[in-house]
Amino acid sequence: MIGTQTLPRQFNWRPFFQKYGLLMSLLLLCLALSVASDRFLTSDNLLNVLRQSSINGIISIGMMMVILTRGIDLSVGSVLALSAVIGADMLKNEGMPVLQAIGICLLVGAAAGAVNGFLVSWVNIPPFIATLGMMTFARGAAKFYTDGQPITGLDSLGQGFRYLGTAEVGPIPMPIIVAGLVFLGGAVLLNHVPFGRFIFGLGNNEEAAYLSGLPVNRIKLFVYMAAGTLSALAGIILVGRLNSAQPTAGEMYEFDAIAAVVVGGTSFDGGEGTVMGTLIGVLIIGIINNGLNLLDVSAFYQDITKGAVIALALLLHRAIR
Amino acid sequence: MVSVSENTPLLRVEDITKSFGAVQALRGITFDLVRGTVMALVGDNGAGKSTLAKILSGVHPPTSGQFYLNGQSCRFDRPAAALAAGIETVYQNLALIEELDVADNVYLGRETTRGGAIGRLFGILDRPAMRQHTAKALSQLHIKIPAPTLAVRKMSGGQRQAVAIGRALTWGRELFILDEPTAALGVDETEQVLRMIERLREEHGLTFIIISHNMQDVYRIADTIVVLRQGRHVATLAKNDTTPEEIVAYITGAKE
Repeated sequence: MIGTQTLPRQFNWRPFFQKYGLLMSLLLLCLALSVASDRFLTSDNLLNVLRQSSINGIISIGMMMVILTRGIDLSVGSVLALSAVIGADMLKNEGMPVLQAIGICLLVGAAAGAVNGFLVSWVNIPPFIATLGMMTFARGAAKFYTDGQPITGLDSLGQGFRYLGTAEVGPIPMPIIVAGLVFLGGAVLLNHVPFGRFIFGLGNNEEAAYLSGLPVNRIKLFVYMAAGTLSALAGIILVGRLNSAQPTAGEMYEFDAIAAVVVGGTSFDGGEGTVMGTLIGVLIIGIINNGLNLLDVSAFYQDITKGAVIALALLLHRAIR
Repeated sequence: MVSVSENTPLLRVEDITKSFGAVQALRGITFDLVRGTVMALVGDNGAGKSTLAKILSGVHPPTSGQFYLNGQSCRFDRPAAALAAGIETVYQNLALIEELDVADNVYLGRETTRGGAIGRLFGILDRPAMRQHTAKALSQLHIKIPAPTLAVRKMSGGQRQAVAIGRALTWGRELFILDEPTAALGVDETEQVLRMIERLREEHGLTFIIISHNMQDVYRIADTIVVLRQGRHVATLAKNDTTPEEIVAYITGAKE
């Protein structure tokens, strides 16, 4: 067209970083660790990272849905423990068949999530407070239920309950497959069915969502129930791997899940985030844990490092938006 | 099925009051609205116009009084109930989800899902159909938007208003309530919205309640004008029997 001129433009970095910054961080981290430790870039270790990340990954998908609605769920670790000890007890002491015990375990997670969701939506308690209460309650209930003792020796009852934690399909450990399916399900739910639009809509503008006729309370109930159920699923895998259900299991798991979700670019203001981002966030947290172990960094420094990484991620998120 | 006689008004509002704690926002509003007409709801700030609109659209229940749609009593406990009854409201703050695109906003809560075994089983969104229908529906209304795939946050005030009105017109069957539809718009955009309302009333016989501060707009498009002052219903005027000056006199209290 006459009169229009293509001016030589400077390359605009901002959209580039918004899109690929997270992936680049992951690759940089991998690069740095493969230089620092010759054990990092081995197929055994990478499979190990994925397996260790799968529990956090499963929890993080639930956490992400909650954070997308401007909520938070601090109770995921405690709910994991409570559902795990009840499931294991049903199996070991009540002689329940494996599938039923797994069903009970998931139901406990869903029920704890339902209480959270009910308090947050219908009773209108801030998510931080409601789930803080559930965090303490479920942990206490798990300790009360087991008298503080781990439930062990699930092996003698057949491999069934431990299947999700220990089985392998070819070279791929089962937890990775379960986590993969959860991520796939999360992606379909959030991006390809109407309910996913509801979650984003609610998180983005709750009043507009309500005025548009969306069932706001039921959406919140659903996301907290999903978070609880996925915590219980993660608990089954953990019990399988450890061959014991411990009332202290899952302590601080909420931290790793929240970290993965926010590092993955999900906004605490709600309504913004991607499943792919959360996946990368989970891998970054998993690789940091793995790398610090490979480098024999003490546990104290590990926590300090993780805390600093999250602060950095949030700063970067602010800066490039 | 209730038979609707020719004389049944589309909307009958009977002695509606609304109190928020000690504040009486509405003190007895009564009017009939005939199908295919435009009613302007006017009054000064705090007169209760938006409160009345929110009662009709299911945001607030009335403290006392009744309203009837096609002769049937309405008790809306939430906006979804009013939407289901065919009453669409365009709120002053537009109630759009800024991060979602135009088609997702138009279809929010009423999504189209794909056919086929998997599509039906999982209720998979049919994005191409929603975008296509949105583009078609908006162009039929002479609403110009850049693309149905554009996020609302990237649009101008006039474009957002157009999307909100377009969404209402896509789904509404009975009554359209527009709260200050032109307040945020420039001269050209205001003219477009007013023309659209006139055309929809004349060609499709649609019924509107329009809340406005602009006496010129009101006088141009309304058939009847209901004036509220401090929550009281002070006058119901037919446009042909009144003047803009008289309307203003009722609004300010110069005339009772």
